[in-house]
Amino acid sequence: MAIKKESPGDLLQGTLDLLILKSLARGPMHGYGVAEWIHESSQDVLRVEEGALYPALHRLELRGLLSAEWGASENNRRAKYYALTTAGRKQLAEETEYWRRMSGAVARVLQTA
Amino acid sequence: MAAERLNRLWRRIKALGKRGQLDRDLEDEVAFHLAMREEKNRQAGIAAQEARYAARRQFGNTSGVKDKTRDLWTFLALETLWQDFTYAVRTITKKPGFATIAVVTLALGIGASTAIFSVIESVLLEPFPYPDARRFFSLEIHDASQNRPGGRVQYVGPEYLDYAEKNHVFDRVIANDSLDVLYDHGDGAERFHGVVITPGTFEFFGMPALIGRVMQPADYEPGAPPVFVLRYKTWVSHFAADPGVLNKSFVLNGAPRALVGVMPPRFAWGNGDLWVPEKPIRSAAPVDGRFPPAWYLIGHLKPGVTVRTAQADLTVLAKQLAKIYPKDYPEHFAVELVSFTDMVVGSFRTTLYLMLAAVAVLLLIGCGNVANLLLARATTREKEFAIRATLGASRWRLVRQLLVESLLLAICGGLLGIGLAWFGLRSLVALVPPDMIAAETVVRLNGPVLFFALALSMTTALLFGLVPALEAARRDLNDPLRDTGKGANGSFRHARLRDAVVVLEVALSLTLLVGAGLLTRSFVALRAVDLGFQPDHVLTARLPLPQDRYKTAKDVTGFYRPLLARIKTLPGVIDVSETSTLPPYGGIPSDIEVKGKTPTEKWNAVFELPSEGYSRVLKTQFLQGRPFTDAEVNDARRVAVINETLARRYLAGENPIGQRIRINNLENFPDPVSDPWFEVIGVVRDLLNDGVHRPIRPEIWIPYTITGSAARGILVRTVGDPLGLLNAVRQEIWSTDRSVAVTLNGRLEDYINSYDYSGPRFTLLLTSIFASVGLILVVTGVYSVVAYATARRTHEIGIRMALGADPGSAIKLVVGAGLRVIGVGIAIGVAGSLAVSRVIAGELWQVSARDPVTIVGVAVLLLLTGAVACWIPARRASNIEPILALRHE
Repeated sequence: MAIKKESPGDLLQGTLDLLILKSLARGPMHGYGVAEWIHESSQDVLRVEEGALYPALHRLELRGLLSAEWGASENNRRAKYYALTTAGRKQLAEETEYWRRMSGAVARVLQTA
Repeated sequence: MAAERLNRLWRRIKALGKRGQLDRDLEDEVAFHLAMREEKNRQAGIAAQEARYAARRQFGNTSGVKDKTRDLWTFLALETLWQDFTYAVRTITKKPGFATIAVVTLALGIGASTAIFSVIESVLLEPFPYPDARRFFSLEIHDASQNRPGGRVQYVGPEYLDYAEKNHVFDRVIANDSLDVLYDHGDGAERFHGVVITPGTFEFFGMPALIGRVMQPADYEPGAPPVFVLRYKTWVSHFAADPGVLNKSFVLNGAPRALVGVMPPRFAWGNGDLWVPEKPIRSAAPVDGRFPPAWYLIGHLKPGVTVRTAQADLTVLAKQLAKIYPKDYPEHFAVELVSFTDMVVGSFRTTLYLMLAAVAVLLLIGCGNVANLLLARATTREKEFAIRATLGASRWRLVRQLLVESLLLAICGGLLGIGLAWFGLRSLVALVPPDMIAAETVVRLNGPVLFFALALSMTTALLFGLVPALEAARRDLNDPLRDTGKGANGSFRHARLRDAVVVLEVALSLTLLVGAGLLTRSFVALRAVDLGFQPDHVLTARLPLPQDRYKTAKDVTGFYRPLLARIKTLPGVIDVSETSTLPPYGGIPSDIEVKGKTPTEKWNAVFELPSEGYSRVLKTQFLQGRPFTDAEVNDARRVAVINETLARRYLAGENPIGQRIRINNLENFPDPVSDPWFEVIGVVRDLLNDGVHRPIRPEIWIPYTITGSAARGILVRTVGDPLGLLNAVRQEIWSTDRSVAVTLNGRLEDYINSYDYSGPRFTLLLTSIFASVGLILVVTGVYSVVAYATARRTHEIGIRMALGADPGSAIKLVVGAGLRVIGVGIAIGVAGSLAVSRVIAGELWQVSARDPVTIVGVAVLLLLTGAVACWIPARRASNIEPILALRHE
């Protein structure tokens, strides 16, 4: 997976998985919704590339962290809704904890004069 | 983690069944996303058209995303492998010529080497079914003054017992002797090859009986009820494998004997039909009109004792025995232990190893050919690979494609090779000369060897498939696209590698051809040897007489005199003679003395006991004097005919006629001849008497009526095919005496063929086959390489011809380049042949292993065939229209 330094809005893969899990913690959602939610809740800083989003969603589904179901969207279109499984919830908790520790550590390093 | 992997696998397997569903779902999911985005854009006030484009732009390559997502759900590796495989099948079948050559080449290499090695394994490495047979050794007293190998291996009773009891190196010792066993089955007597065995024999070999029992210690004791044990093969051929014959009594050699057991199929000790027990006794005197047993000793080395220590120990013993039996030991002798296998297989060993070497060379040539084919092909496909790479194929994918193709060829070659190995082995077994291998030997296909040959050829195919594959993967993709295949610089490194392989192939093939050439010349020389008599149209048979009734010279004469007269009157018979040996094999060895001479060393000769017709049947030539008259034979006069060698060696410069010769051994015969002096009445031109290969020994013929001892037979000169008279002759024999067996009968020529010519013929035949196959492989190899290189240079040749070069110069260009490579190969091959000449020297007869005629002839042959292989593509190139050549892509 290509990581382009020049666009700070791109996400590392592990981070993308975490954000997807987090966005689904509120309830089932389709791919478009996940992308939008991440974009909005990061106050327009993070932009999920579709080219990465869908493979990531399917990979998580394959790993059993997400379940998927077809349903009608808010404007009555056929849409694929993803939801967290129990394994997904557990993974989210672990990843969140890990992320907290890492970002805190990185922040502390950066603050050191 | 493992559980998760399993889950993932399970989900993929579930997805496998609904591939279409998955595709549609993905399509929908992406479409939904685009639609939502477009709507949002429109809501932001962007025009409808632009809103759609913006949504697409932002999403990027939709099919790429779909591909990537879909791949998650599939067994990607397997599916592309399947694609590679079907593609490989397509490309290979598109060029069937290439595939056929490659597959056949591999198959030949695998098949031939497996078959030969299987024979070697069965015949040389594991010929015997007996446990620990590698530590079985026979004892040989080698006369140090003779420079040929071999020596005495048989011992009289007391001598055998001394060796058996006084040695410190064997933990078990047994011995055997051959015995004609006559069995009257009702329609006439039949002779079985009996083997007399000593106590402990069956324990020695550690094999139980198939049915019944083996000998017990009590069976060997004098006075015990007579018993015998039967060989499986004989049980099947003569008694229809009927278990009912067990414990029945058979009249053998005129006395009843009970059959107590039948041995398992592979038990064949002494190559006997049956085994009878006997305990060696401390007496060397003839018993009951029979020669005393000559025990062939065999011992099992104690654990930890080496051959060298054993020889030292037995030498001490032999030195003591030499003082007791001075007649039986040469002045200077060496005691040698000969392994059981060597004893049986002997010279056939070198033949087989030579074949193995030949086949290994063949396998190498085959691998070289396949390598070259793959290299040449890969080069022509550079463009194809460049295009595929440009279209997005990964390097690994390209490499894998080539590997799959190579592997496919290797597998096809392997399967065909297994078939060839099986078939080849069957033909080989049919070809192996009789009596060359142990009777116990069963030749089987050798699994590990087959596996090795398969692995070797697969490795070759993969390796040489891989070299161009890696190169194709490494190189700049644009290069081959720009390169239009014009000019010879296309891929220089491949060209070098290909040339190197051709050089190697030519060199190897030359070595094989030189071998075949030398063996041919040697065989021709062998066939040209003058036997000194005419073996064609001669029927021979050995006639074992019942020992109880035929003891004296009078008994024997009483049988032969009427028999010879009867046979002579048969229509189709020209002449007949009694004989004591089968010419040109042997005679009875004896020390001799010549009246009035007192030589410093012992003189010896072989002697024969013929009747009056002998010289006419064999058409020998008298140099001096005359043959026996009928009266001289009848009256058992003390007259002798000698050969040229004896006259030259012991009677040099004197008139041999009238000389008196004493044949000392006759005194020791069971029917002894006292004061055995004979007067020379004739000298014959030398007849071979020690086989075709070996020098002639001094020889004496005396009337057969002199003694009743020694084995006898007949020689009959016929008008037509000798076998046509066999039945009539047998009838005459049985009307003379029904209890005489007729054995070892057949054409004299056939015996000489099988003893002396079949071994060399076997070697020659196989080597010629291998050399021819090698030559064919090399020629196709050279042809394919030159044809390929020429195709690459078509453009260049076109330019040359457009500029006025004539077709001849184009041919010269191509053929010259090819011949340079072949020339280097020939030079290396000649050097190699000279270097390894020692290997084949032992198989040759009267031809030097460095015979210049053969080597030059073979080099010219290779050069000529190579030139033809180069000339065909060269001519094709020179015939091309320049304008076509210039357009040639």
